[in-house]
Amino acid sequence: MHPFSTLTLGIFVAGYITARWDLVTRLYELAIFAVEYGVVLRVARGIVVLTAFFLAIFVPVALLARRETTLHDGLMRVFWPTDIRKSDRTGVVVGWRNSTLDVFVVTILEDVDAHNVEFHLRSGTFFRSSPHSPNRIYELCGHSSMHVLGVSNAATQDAIDPSWVCAKASTSSRYPRISCAKASSIQLILYDRPRPKGMQYISLNPIALALGDKGTLPEDVASSEDDSEEAKHEKAIKENRRMLVEKLKQHSIVRRVASARDKALPKIVNQVNWSWELEQALQQNVGRLGPRPKRGLSVSERVVESATTMRNYVLVQLWTLFSVYLFPIVQKAFVLVLLFHRMVAEIFLIILEFRAKPGYAALKDISATAQQIEIRLQQFCYWPMQYVTLRQRKANWASVTTSHPDYIRFYNSLWLVANDVIIGMAVGSYIIEHKDWVADQIRDLLRTYTVEALQRGISWLMGWPAGLKLNGELAAFLGDLFLWVIDYWSSCIETLSPMLPHIIWFIGFSSFAGASMPIAMFSDLLSVLTLHIYSFYLASARIYHWQLTILRSLFHLFRGKKHNVLRNRIDSCDYDLDQLLVGTILFTLLFFLLPTVMVFYLNFAIARMIIISLKAGFDTLLSCLNHFPLFALMLRLKDPSRLPGGIHFELRDTHYPTTPDANDNLLNEPPTSIIYLKNIPLPFRDMFHQYFQMAHRIRKHYLSPRVLLCLVTGQFVPPINRKNLYSLQYSMLPARRATVWEMWRAVNTEIDIPQKKPFQMPNIPQLQNGGKRPTGFGRTRS
Amino acid sequence: MLTTAPRLRIRRPSPTTAEFTVTTLPPRTLALRLLWLLLLALRISLSLVALLILYARWVQERGSIAGPAQPPPPLLSLDRLVFALDAFLQTTPAGTLLARIAASVSLPVLLPVAAAVFYALSLRVHKEESLLVLRGLGVQTSESPATYLAGAATRFIPTEKIQDILVNEAFLGFEVRYYLVVVVEGEENVVVVFPGLLPRRKIVETVWRGVRECLYEGRGEDRVDKSGS
Repeated sequence: MHPFSTLTLGIFVAGYITARWDLVTRLYELAIFAVEYGVVLRVARGIVVLTAFFLAIFVPVALLARRETTLHDGLMRVFWPTDIRKSDRTGVVVGWRNSTLDVFVVTILEDVDAHNVEFHLRSGTFFRSSPHSPNRIYELCGHSSMHVLGVSNAATQDAIDPSWVCAKASTSSRYPRISCAKASSIQLILYDRPRPKGMQYISLNPIALALGDKGTLPEDVASSEDDSEEAKHEKAIKENRRMLVEKLKQHSIVRRVASARDKALPKIVNQVNWSWELEQALQQNVGRLGPRPKRGLSVSERVVESATTMRNYVLVQLWTLFSVYLFPIVQKAFVLVLLFHRMVAEIFLIILEFRAKPGYAALKDISATAQQIEIRLQQFCYWPMQYVTLRQRKANWASVTTSHPDYIRFYNSLWLVANDVIIGMAVGSYIIEHKDWVADQIRDLLRTYTVEALQRGISWLMGWPAGLKLNGELAAFLGDLFLWVIDYWSSCIETLSPMLPHIIWFIGFSSFAGASMPIAMFSDLLSVLTLHIYSFYLASARIYHWQLTILRSLFHLFRGKKHNVLRNRIDSCDYDLDQLLVGTILFTLLFFLLPTVMVFYLNFAIARMIIISLKAGFDTLLSCLNHFPLFALMLRLKDPSRLPGGIHFELRDTHYPTTPDANDNLLNEPPTSIIYLKNIPLPFRDMFHQYFQMAHRIRKHYLSPRVLLCLVTGQFVPPINRKNLYSLQYSMLPARRATVWEMWRAVNTEIDIPQKKPFQMPNIPQLQNGGKRPTGFGRTRS
Repeated sequence: MLTTAPRLRIRRPSPTTAEFTVTTLPPRTLALRLLWLLLLALRISLSLVALLILYARWVQERGSIAGPAQPPPPLLSLDRLVFALDAFLQTTPAGTLLARIAASVSLPVLLPVAAAVFYALSLRVHKEESLLVLRGLGVQTSESPATYLAGAATRFIPTEKIQDILVNEAFLGFEVRYYLVVVVEGEENVVVVFPGLLPRRKIVETVWRGVRECLYEGRGEDRVDKSGS
């Protein structure tokens, strides 16, 4: 204590005693009384007992508690960007503190005071000049402000909070060395910052290239009646699996509650995505914290500055002229033209989708051309909406990653259409130039394969094919029947053939709308020109099937049984003798006629199958032209981090420095594991997921035993549900298209895009002190 | 000789982070290293031979045979390389043999065979599967791919999604195998750790204990920092 204050206190005590002498004597008497009656002894005993209690119980408990907290809860997790600036200067580590020992480092601010930084982070000084509201950052990163996490390269250990991180990052070492007073072990997780300007990001789940808003539509339910057995089977399997999973759940003994650290993962993914932009903002605005070293401009710099100012002034004036007077007119005109086209498209779409009755086939279900036109129109309807969505992206921070799949989808479809048109022009000009040759070829093909080959096949069947002794009369009858129809058909084709070059010319001309159009048209042409084969197939299948059914029931009669329709079973039946006789004779007759009918049926069934596979080939070609993930593939090659397919971690080897620094006061470094967080680029299999799914569906439908049975018994093979087959075609289109009014509103709502720099100034030399450039008077269009 | 029975390697730089690797790579000895080098040389020479055969076939298909009598193009250029290859294929006995082989095989046979040879040469000798356990983040399984050309296939499961980690047994042929399973919440299939190697029970048990210790043992709840929010 200071001698002067001791003196003052002495004077005060002496004064008080003299002033209140009676009180002091009372106290003295009380003390004498207490000593005489043993109060002091009792107090001393109490103190001893309490001390014993304290030493025996409270101190061990406190020690144990501290050991528990420091030993077991001492895992510290530090996320550290790999591209952080390495220097030997002191700095403040800034980032997000997700929980006490779970920190996410964004950047290191050099040469600033930690408490000052903390204050400015809370008051939001760093984002005051940012183009967008910082609330979005806080919302996505899960905190209301950024935090000071610690210091780097600190000279002294005092004034450091125990939960702060002390980092030692020097220019020489690859990894920073981290220590923290509270931590007993450290996970140092290094991450690469994705560049939001380049639309890179990471995500826990693979990016969805298809539009995922397809629910179960009412039509879907109605048309899925036919494969209900398969669906039922699948449902049963699914139910079984669900039960198994449920059972497995009961086997878990301990239900562990996820800690805050476990739950922070989605937040951390967002923080990684934001990290680059935040770092930029912080480093740009670190000058607001206090005076920075400045230097005056030299004469030559002044000259350069005034020259650039003049040039910028002229450019800005020109830009303003353009953006205020010319641009709105052009824009309005464009929007009106767009709206007109949209209305026309709407009318076409209504025609294409018209159904006479719900459940009947619309035009687009019958014809590939109509479907192709419909897909193009739908795409055209969707583009403005997509474009508006993408434009809204500009009105926000670049790190908001929700619209990136939209971007990829939009440009993918644009690029595919452009490609389609380019290929179409080449194909179209070729077809138009050689239309006679192409028409000749097609006529030859038609004659050879759909007329002559069929005629030859039928004549072959009318003889004894491959030594089979068929019934000559029946074969001649059936063959003649088909041959007449073929003759009639070929004469029809002959009368049509002068028209063929014109049709080809038309197809060639249509291919200027894309190569998919002639393909679709050829597909339709194929189905029209092979109509006779289809009808032959239908007729022969019907005959064959009837015969099989009659044979079956006559076989029952032959055995003295019959099919009971009411109970759906085979009952015994007493037939009369004449019934049995006639039935048996008929059975024998039909049985011996069966091979003849069967070979004709097989002939046409095979022809029909060939045509179906040809059309399937055309459809595959169409789906490749319409929905090949070209843009995604290109992105995968150019910049894999734009197509995130998940994350993975890599444990790096920890190398402790063999020679400890002499001035190292952070040597009590806890055991550290260095982990590298990496982005997995989307695997190629996921990109073609839709194609695999379609192939799987087709295989399941056409290579199933049911279809084989149908083919063998001559029943009609049910065509695959078009909705299933073409789900690929519609995978990038919304289930419900936006109406004209919605489009009008979307196009006309102005998006408030804050433009900090209204015009990109070309080639401006960098000024060291951030000299005032006239960027303020560029008018923003609103 | 190049592979052993699956053995376990543990890397554990800090108590809450561990990587369990099951590998068929035997411990490195001098003999093994020499064998590796030999194998590498064999692979390179075989693929070179396959490439040369393909090149010879290409030259034959193209039909332009440049005689070696012309003056050689300048050193360190692409033409020089082509020139050297042509010279090799036309003059040396080995080269002529290769050219004859290339000429005798038809193209639809040659190309698939060449592709199969390249694939076989890029196959890995040993398998490696690992499980990385990070407390607070999750577990990650990874498998080394079949060839040297592909990257490792990894699967990361966040802790929140892990319902349980257990050892199960199953019949495989005529034996009972024990395997480690991660039950993922909300998924129909469980994730089998070390699916290709299926190591012995002892290894599986060690890994199971290690994983549980790493993930859960002595876990204190860390509170969310209230000062920030």
